[in-house]
Amino acid sequence: MKKRKRKDSAFPEKRKNEFHPSLCAKLHEAGLDTRNLKYNVSGDMDSEQCFRDAWLFFDEKGLYIATGEEKLEKVKKNHTPVEPSYTLDSVRSIPLEDVDSLETESYLSTGRLMAVKDGEYEPLIWFSLGKLGDFGTFAKAFNSFKNTGEVEINEAPDESGTCRKCGAPCPPDRDLCPRHMKNSGTAIRLFRFFGGHIPQITAIVLVMVASSAAMVLVPQISTRSLYDNVLSNPDGLPQNELIKALGTLVLSIVGIRVLNIILTMIQQYMSATIMPKVMYDIKVKIFEAMQRLSVNFYSSKQTGSLMNRVMRDATNIYWFFTDGLPRIIIDSATIIGVLILMIKMNWKLSLFALLAAPVLVFTIILGDRMFRRMHHKVWIFHSRLGSMLSDNINGQRVIKAFAKEDDEFDRFSEMSREVRNADVKLSVTEATLFPLLEILVLLLSTAVLCYGGTMVARGDGSMTAGTLLSFIVYLEMLKEPFGFMAWVTNWWSRCADSATRVFEICDAQPEITEKENAIPLDNLRGDVEINELEFEYEPARPVIRKLSLKVKAGDMLGIVGKTGAGKTTIANLISRLYDAKEGSIKIDGTDVRDLKLADIRRNIGLVSQDIYLFIGSIADNIRYAKPDASMDEVIAAAKAAYAHDYIMKLPDAYETRIGAGGQRLSGGEKQRISIARTIIQNPGILILDEATAAMDTETERNIQNSLQKLSKGRTTIAIAHRLSTLRDADYLAVIDGGTIAEYGTFSELIEKKGEFYKQYKIQSEALKTIAIGADSAQSNNEEEEQSNEQQ
Amino acid sequence: MSSNDTLRQTISPETLKAEYISPASCEFFKTEKGFLGAEINGQKFNRVILTRALPLTFSDDYICISDVERKELGIIEHISDFSEDNQKLMNEELGHRYFSPVITEILSIKEKFGNFYFDVMLGDLKRNFTVKDISKNIRYHEKGFDLIDVDGNRYRIIDFDAIPKKSRRLLEPYLY
Repeated sequence: MKKRKRKDSAFPEKRKNEFHPSLCAKLHEAGLDTRNLKYNVSGDMDSEQCFRDAWLFFDEKGLYIATGEEKLEKVKKNHTPVEPSYTLDSVRSIPLEDVDSLETESYLSTGRLMAVKDGEYEPLIWFSLGKLGDFGTFAKAFNSFKNTGEVEINEAPDESGTCRKCGAPCPPDRDLCPRHMKNSGTAIRLFRFFGGHIPQITAIVLVMVASSAAMVLVPQISTRSLYDNVLSNPDGLPQNELIKALGTLVLSIVGIRVLNIILTMIQQYMSATIMPKVMYDIKVKIFEAMQRLSVNFYSSKQTGSLMNRVMRDATNIYWFFTDGLPRIIIDSATIIGVLILMIKMNWKLSLFALLAAPVLVFTIILGDRMFRRMHHKVWIFHSRLGSMLSDNINGQRVIKAFAKEDDEFDRFSEMSREVRNADVKLSVTEATLFPLLEILVLLLSTAVLCYGGTMVARGDGSMTAGTLLSFIVYLEMLKEPFGFMAWVTNWWSRCADSATRVFEICDAQPEITEKENAIPLDNLRGDVEINELEFEYEPARPVIRKLSLKVKAGDMLGIVGKTGAGKTTIANLISRLYDAKEGSIKIDGTDVRDLKLADIRRNIGLVSQDIYLFIGSIADNIRYAKPDASMDEVIAAAKAAYAHDYIMKLPDAYETRIGAGGQRLSGGEKQRISIARTIIQNPGILILDEATAAMDTETERNIQNSLQKLSKGRTTIAIAHRLSTLRDADYLAVIDGGTIAEYGTFSELIEKKGEFYKQYKIQSEALKTIAIGADSAQSNNEEEEQSNEQQ
Repeated sequence: MSSNDTLRQTISPETLKAEYISPASCEFFKTEKGFLGAEINGQKFNRVILTRALPLTFSDDYICISDVERKELGIIEHISDFSEDNQKLMNEELGHRYFSPVITEILSIKEKFGNFYFDVMLGDLKRNFTVKDISKNIRYHEKGFDLIDVDGNRYRIIDFDAIPKKSRRLLEPYLY
């Protein structure tokens, strides 16, 4: 379970192993003494599965359960804790001798704490699933106290899922609720990526402001000066002079336009040189952070789409900074520039126009909200259609095998229709609303025109026709920037959201870390010792329980057990892909957590049942662990793994491209490359996790022989379903329910006639049946052949 | 008999029928500690677990009975075939196992960084929870749906059309 340290808290009683003093006083009034409590937990349901606050604790005398209500005032602005008040409505004391142990059970949406006495269960209290970890730890604390008289819990209380400022629920990967989340911190961190380009950024901003200023000047010349100074001819100039003045105006307008184009080009050129560099920095930073993280991070439910984080989230940030931010600067400069000019031209008319502006902005915001919802709906339909299409393409073999082409077509048509209808609705709404918005702008312009027109008509010099017309043009110019500003917050939210996800990876702490003074593992002997190992992927659901094992250097240990017994988990724990919850794994007498990570990985070779081959040639894949391996070594490893023969049958032999888009290999072929990859690594400890499961019996036997040679002088831990493959193991461990059920040599376990013997017998008989079937099929064929020959 | 005939017989609806537990052969009872027990074909089980095969669409049909080791003892085709007392006991057990608080009103939904923060009323009780990516954490049933929060807790809206209009308007944009 992910644990994070909190800097501060408004709810100290939830963080420490004690209740709030007010609650303690209340419990004391009810006859429960909390002064000697050993461990406690807060719940959120009562024994009837109704939502109530609940408090459980135990001391040397008993287990105590109280339910009631905790009332909390809203957290003050400075986040100082407030005094909660408590009411109790039920209190229960159970003498310690009446409970042997505590257990938790989880259901669809809730969990239940159970007391066990002489094998009999008694339900105590319910809790919601978010509390499962807390109650699991409480049960563990209680059980350890019952067994040893001490509370031996080295787990911090689970603090995930609550806001560190106010205690409100929030996702496990966040520590702040929406009320306390701020985009500003993200913005500052994002801008830091631009730190190395400050002169260029400053230049870009200046160019953009200059470009906006140039555009704001255009109506002054093209409208105001044209009408007031040329067309109305106030000074009574002769025709040729007027044409000259007109020419000058036209040239000025063209000049400004050209200047604007040049400035835009400069800005785009400069942005184009900086943005890819910044994007490169962001992507490299994410990728680097991802490589540091532990396996658990990749398998947790929050990290299903990590690729999106590198590609899509970085792209979201890219587009905001490439398109969004420049527009914010340009539009802000335009709004400021236009407003200054409008006020300068006629402040009364400006005030009149600005009074109507909020109506326009309000309408734009309303429309934007409506469109956002519709766009979201369209986006979901499109993404659903995309998923369906991908499902269809990937499942083509199954579709054809079941002749379901027509049904699939109908499904696609139905979903396409939904997409079409949503698209049509959006387009129709846009087509209706945008003209309405135009009408609103028109009405505003008309009102300004009427009011300004009366000013012009009065002829008192407060307003000229040119000024009025340029005023109308300015109003038009404001429409788009205001509209943009109304929805750019949404764009920024998306960018900030992406940036937060990016930073989340950058900030994530790997669970598997190397100690500061980690011990090197240079001359490995190969002794492996597992002591009282406990491990769980999810709270309160142990996968490995109190498991102890010893493998002497150079010996081979076979691990067998049913699916889900915990065999692969043991392999992962020895390789330190995960860390044990309790207990230890020692290599040559040193705890793996004290060893250098690179040395562990170098000395332990893991052939996993989940084979992954990288995009590249077969030779590249084989020499993955040792990039400088010679071609002789590669071929030798491939031969030892019985891969050489089939590789040589491929057109490009060792240079055949495999992985996504490359040559398709069968499961057995991939496994053999994976074995060759480990052979070339030459590890001191070899872990074979169902390494030959996907092969035919003959190939498996050949590889077994090869691996047997390979395992000489090195410690081997082999996990297998086919028990016959473990005949050569020095000793065998049968794992059941995460712990050792049987242990001994092959013959000892057969003699014992326990679970191993039972499984071995079943498998042997199955093989005999196959052999008899094969024999009878062969004799039938022979008979048929004979009869054909006779005919 | 060919192997195909055997296969057809094995998976025919008639053979499946034989796997169902009939009301005549099963009697439920509640133990002193509050667990559901059952006597099936004369064999007494002091604790049985009921699980729904189709929890969203047919919550009262195809109920699997298993013992505490999760070994299946049989399947109940329809709860309604059983006596009222038995139905009551089964519904009580299923109610606990599939407990989903019912949302009667949505007060607010705040979207921030891809998470949806709900303030809701569960009858008289105000409660808040967080859902990550609604489209992936929603399970539709006949007239409503279940929302699954970040801890895995489920909150049920029995009939979407029956909740207040404001609540519908808040949630509607995310329901596709």
